[in-house]
Amino acid sequence: METSNNQAGTPPDNNLVWAIVCTVLCCLPLGIVAIIKSTKVKELWAQGDHVGAQKAADDAKKFSLWGAGLGLVFFVLYIILMAVGFAGGNF
Amino acid sequence: MLEVTSKKIITLTLIAAVLGGIFFVFHSYNPSHHSFFLPCPFKYTTGYHCPGCGSQRAIHQLAQGDVTTAFGLNPLMVLSLPLIIYAFGLKLYNYLFSTQLRVHLFYNPFFIYGYFGIVAIYWIARNIPMYPFTVLAPTG
Repeated sequence: METSNNQAGTPPDNNLVWAIVCTVLCCLPLGIVAIIKSTKVKELWAQGDHVGAQKAADDAKKFSLWGAGLGLVFFVLYIILMAVGFAGGNF
Repeated sequence: MLEVTSKKIITLTLIAAVLGGIFFVFHSYNPSHHSFFLPCPFKYTTGYHCPGCGSQRAIHQLAQGDVTTAFGLNPLMVLSLPLIIYAFGLKLYNYLFSTQLRVHLFYNPFFIYGYFGIVAIYWIARNIPMYPFTVLAPTG
C-alpha cells in the first residue's frame, strides 16, 4: 500500500474506493460499471491518453454516485411505503 | 504545504459533523430493532442476501466495540473497512495538503478483479442454505 507523489506521472484518482463502498455498503450493480471505469484509468494513462484517463476517472465516480443516488431514491420510497403502512413496523 | 483556507475549514467541519452523526445513529440504534434504517434494495425485492447485507448491523456492532459480532454479520465489509478508511484518509490528505498521493493497490488489475471476483463468489456463497456457507449469511 505504498504511495508516491510523482506529479508528472500521477494518474487521476480512479475513485475505486467509491466502487468498493458502493458494493459492500449498499451493493448496487452500478458499482460494477464504476469498477470497469476505474481499471481503465491506469490503462489509458499508460497509453498517454491523459484526457481519456481523466474521463474514465470522472465516470467511475459518477456511476458510484448514481448508485448512491438510487439507494437514496429507494430509501425515500421505502419511507413512503412505511408511512402508508405497507412496509416496516417498529420505529 | 498545508494552506489553511476557510473552504477547507468548512469542509472539515462538515465531514466531522456527518461522520459524528453517522456514528451517533449507529451507536445508539440497532438496525435489527428499528426500521428507519435503509433496507437492502436487493434483499427487499429478491429475498436474497447481497454482498452488502448485514453491513449496517455490523457497523452498529463496531460502534459498540463488538468486532466479533460485526465480523459474523458481514466479514467482507469488516475486512474492507481498513482499506476504505485508508483510501478516504489519503483523499482527505491530498485535499488538505494539495498532494496527489494514490493507493497503488487500486491501480493493480489483479487486486481489482481479485477483489470483485471474491465479491461475486461471496454473493453466491452466502445464499447457499447449507453449512459451512450459512456462516457467511448475515445472521446473529
